[in-house]
Amino acid sequence: MADEAEQQPSTNTVEEPLDLIRLSLDERIYVKMRNDRELRGRLHAYDQHLNMILGDVEETVTTVEIDEETYEELYKSTKRNIPMLFVRGDGVVLVAPPLRVG
Amino acid sequence: MSMRKQTPSDFLKQIIGRPVVVKLNSGVDYRGVLACLDGYMNIAIEQTEEYVNGQLKNKYGDAFLRGNNVLYISTQKRKV
Repeated sequence: MADEAEQQPSTNTVEEPLDLIRLSLDERIYVKMRNDRELRGRLHAYDQHLNMILGDVEETVTTVEIDEETYEELYKSTKRNIPMLFVRGDGVVLVAPPLRVG
Repeated sequence: MSMRKQTPSDFLKQIIGRPVVVKLNSGVDYRGVLACLDGYMNIAIEQTEEYVNGQLKNKYGDAFLRGNNVLYISTQKRKV
Protein backbone atom coordinates (compact mmCIF):
# COMPACT_ATOMS: atom_id res chain seq x y z
CA MET A 1 0.00 0.00 0.00
CA ALA A 2 1.13 3.63 0.47
CA ASP A 3 3.70 3.02 3.19
CA GLU A 4 4.51 0.19 5.55
CA ALA A 5 4.98 2.36 8.62
CA GLU A 6 1.24 2.81 9.11
CA GLN A 7 -0.55 -0.53 8.96
CA GLN A 8 0.81 -4.05 9.08
CA PRO A 9 0.33 -6.11 5.89
CA SER A 10 -0.60 -9.30 7.80
CA THR A 11 -3.70 -9.39 9.99
CA ASN A 12 -1.95 -8.94 13.32
CA THR A 13 -3.40 -5.92 15.04
CA VAL A 14 -5.26 -3.27 13.01
CA GLU A 15 -7.16 -4.35 9.94
CA GLU A 16 -7.49 -2.22 6.86
CA PRO A 17 -10.92 -1.35 5.49
CA LEU A 18 -10.22 -3.80 2.64
CA ASP A 19 -9.72 -6.62 5.15
CA LEU A 20 -13.17 -5.93 6.49
CA ILE A 21 -14.63 -6.10 2.98
CA ARG A 22 -13.12 -9.58 2.80
CA LEU A 23 -15.56 -10.59 5.53
CA SER A 24 -18.41 -9.81 3.11
CA LEU A 25 -17.16 -12.26 0.47
CA ASP A 26 -19.94 -14.51 -0.75
CA GLU A 27 -22.46 -12.33 1.05
CA ARG A 28 -24.97 -10.03 -0.53
CA ILE A 29 -23.80 -6.42 -0.44
CA TYR A 30 -25.00 -3.00 -1.38
CA VAL A 31 -22.75 -0.81 -3.52
CA LYS A 32 -23.26 2.88 -4.11
CA MET A 33 -21.63 4.13 -7.28
CA ARG A 34 -21.04 7.39 -9.08
CA ASN A 35 -23.70 8.69 -11.46
CA ASP A 36 -26.48 7.86 -9.00
CA ARG A 37 -26.24 4.13 -9.41
CA GLU A 38 -26.70 1.42 -6.83
CA LEU A 39 -25.99 -2.27 -7.01
CA ARG A 40 -27.24 -5.11 -4.88
CA GLY A 41 -25.58 -8.44 -5.45
CA ARG A 42 -23.41 -11.24 -4.11
CA LEU A 43 -19.76 -10.38 -3.75
CA HIS A 44 -17.64 -13.04 -5.41
CA ALA A 45 -14.33 -11.19 -5.68
CA TYR A 46 -12.70 -7.84 -5.18
CA ASP A 47 -9.28 -6.24 -5.26
CA GLN A 48 -7.48 -3.20 -3.85
CA HIS A 49 -8.98 -0.98 -6.56
CA LEU A 50 -12.42 -2.14 -5.47
CA ASN A 51 -12.90 -3.81 -8.84
CA MET A 52 -15.55 -6.38 -7.98
CA ILE A 53 -17.26 -9.43 -9.35
CA LEU A 54 -20.89 -9.44 -8.35
CA GLY A 55 -23.36 -12.21 -9.00
CA ASP A 56 -27.14 -12.01 -9.22
CA VAL A 57 -27.07 -8.23 -9.36
CA GLU A 58 -29.84 -5.70 -9.38
CA GLU A 59 -28.73 -2.28 -10.64
CA THR A 60 -30.78 0.80 -9.80
CA VAL A 61 -30.22 4.00 -11.78
CA THR A 62 -31.86 7.08 -10.29
CA THR A 63 -32.61 10.12 -12.41
CA VAL A 64 -34.24 13.45 -11.64
CA GLU A 65 -36.41 15.06 -14.24
CA ILE A 66 -37.17 18.70 -13.68
CA ASP A 67 -40.30 20.15 -15.25
CA GLU A 68 -39.34 23.30 -17.13
CA GLU A 69 -42.46 25.16 -16.10
CA THR A 70 -43.37 23.94 -12.63
CA TYR A 71 -39.77 23.14 -11.60
CA GLU A 72 -41.16 19.96 -10.17
CA GLU A 73 -38.58 17.29 -9.38
CA LEU A 74 -39.61 13.91 -10.66
CA TYR A 75 -37.42 11.09 -9.32
CA LYS A 76 -37.28 8.05 -11.52
CA SER A 77 -35.41 4.85 -10.92
CA THR A 78 -34.65 2.22 -13.50
CA LYS A 79 -33.74 -1.28 -12.46
CA ARG A 80 -32.20 -4.14 -14.33
CA ASN A 81 -30.96 -7.58 -13.37
CA ILE A 82 -27.56 -8.95 -14.35
CA PRO A 83 -26.48 -12.52 -13.57
CA MET A 84 -22.75 -11.82 -13.41
CA LEU A 85 -21.08 -8.42 -13.41
CA PHE A 86 -17.56 -6.99 -13.35
CA VAL A 87 -17.50 -3.62 -11.66
CA ARG A 88 -14.58 -1.28 -12.31
CA GLY A 89 -13.38 0.05 -8.99
CA ASP A 90 -13.04 3.71 -9.85
CA GLY A 91 -16.83 4.05 -10.04
CA VAL A 92 -17.38 2.71 -6.54
CA VAL A 93 -18.26 5.14 -3.77
CA LEU A 94 -19.51 2.99 -0.90
CA VAL A 95 -19.82 -0.69 -0.01
CA ALA A 96 -22.07 -1.96 2.77
CA PRO A 97 -24.17 -4.94 3.81
CA PRO A 98 -27.65 -4.69 2.23
CA LEU A 99 -29.85 -2.03 3.78
CA ARG A 100 -32.03 -3.47 6.48
CA VAL A 101 -34.41 -1.73 8.85
CA GLY A 102 -33.14 -1.83 12.46
CA MET B 1 -7.99 20.28 22.25
CA SER B 2 -4.23 19.84 21.74
CA MET B 3 -3.03 20.23 18.18
CA ARG B 4 0.70 19.73 18.42
CA LYS B 5 2.72 19.54 15.27
CA GLN B 6 1.90 16.12 13.85
CA THR B 7 1.77 14.46 10.51
CA PRO B 8 -1.54 13.51 8.88
CA SER B 9 -0.77 9.84 9.51
CA ASP B 10 -0.46 10.52 13.24
CA PHE B 11 -3.86 12.16 13.13
CA LEU B 12 -5.35 9.18 11.33
CA LYS B 13 -4.02 6.80 13.97
CA GLN B 14 -5.42 8.97 16.74
CA ILE B 15 -8.98 9.24 15.57
CA ILE B 16 -9.73 5.55 15.14
CA GLY B 17 -12.66 4.63 17.37
CA ARG B 18 -14.01 8.16 17.53
CA PRO B 19 -17.20 9.55 16.03
CA VAL B 20 -16.33 11.24 12.76
CA VAL B 21 -17.81 13.16 9.89
CA VAL B 22 -16.64 12.11 6.46
CA LYS B 23 -17.47 14.40 3.59
CA LEU B 24 -17.19 13.12 0.05
CA ASN B 25 -16.29 15.12 -3.04
CA SER B 26 -19.91 14.76 -4.10
CA GLY B 27 -21.04 16.66 -1.00
CA VAL B 28 -22.59 13.68 0.76
CA ASP B 29 -21.94 13.49 4.48
CA TYR B 30 -21.35 10.34 6.50
CA ARG B 31 -21.38 10.29 10.28
CA GLY B 32 -20.41 7.35 12.40
CA VAL B 33 -17.68 5.72 14.45
CA LEU B 34 -14.42 5.31 12.60
CA ALA B 35 -13.56 1.61 12.53
CA CYS B 36 -10.39 1.84 10.46
CA LEU B 37 -8.76 3.53 7.52
CA ASP B 38 -5.67 3.22 5.35
CA GLY B 39 -3.17 5.43 3.56
CA TYR B 40 -5.47 5.88 0.57
CA MET B 41 -8.19 7.24 2.87
CA ASN B 42 -10.31 4.17 2.28
CA ILE B 43 -12.56 4.21 5.34
CA ALA B 44 -14.62 1.75 7.33
CA ILE B 45 -17.28 3.33 9.52
CA GLU B 46 -19.74 1.75 11.95
CA GLN B 47 -23.28 2.92 12.65
CA THR B 48 -23.14 5.19 9.63
CA GLU B 49 -25.69 7.83 8.77
CA GLU B 50 -25.80 9.39 5.33
CA TYR B 51 -26.74 13.04 4.98
CA VAL B 52 -27.53 14.80 1.73
CA ASN B 53 -29.08 18.15 2.62
CA GLY B 54 -31.47 16.37 5.02
CA GLN B 55 -31.07 12.82 6.26
CA LEU B 56 -31.28 10.25 3.51
CA LYS B 57 -30.40 6.71 4.50
CA ASN B 58 -29.31 4.97 7.67
CA LYS B 59 -26.67 2.33 7.25
CA TYR B 60 -26.17 -0.01 10.14
CA GLY B 61 -23.08 -2.09 10.55
CA ASP B 62 -20.00 -1.32 8.51
CA ALA B 63 -19.84 1.01 5.58
CA PHE B 64 -16.72 1.19 3.40
CA LEU B 65 -15.89 4.37 1.57
CA ARG B 66 -13.46 4.43 -1.31
CA GLY B 67 -10.65 6.84 -0.53
CA ASN B 68 -10.59 8.80 -3.77
CA ASN B 69 -14.09 10.12 -3.04
CA VAL B 70 -13.19 11.42 0.41
CA LEU B 71 -12.88 15.17 0.77
CA TYR B 72 -12.19 15.20 4.50
CA ILE B 73 -12.43 13.24 7.73
CA SER B 74 -13.25 15.22 10.83
CA THR B 75 -13.95 14.30 14.42
CA GLN B 76 -17.26 15.42 15.83
CA LYS B 77 -18.35 16.11 19.35
CA ARG B 78 -21.53 14.11 19.78
CA LYS B 79 -24.09 16.19 21.66
CA VAL B 80 -26.83 13.85 22.88
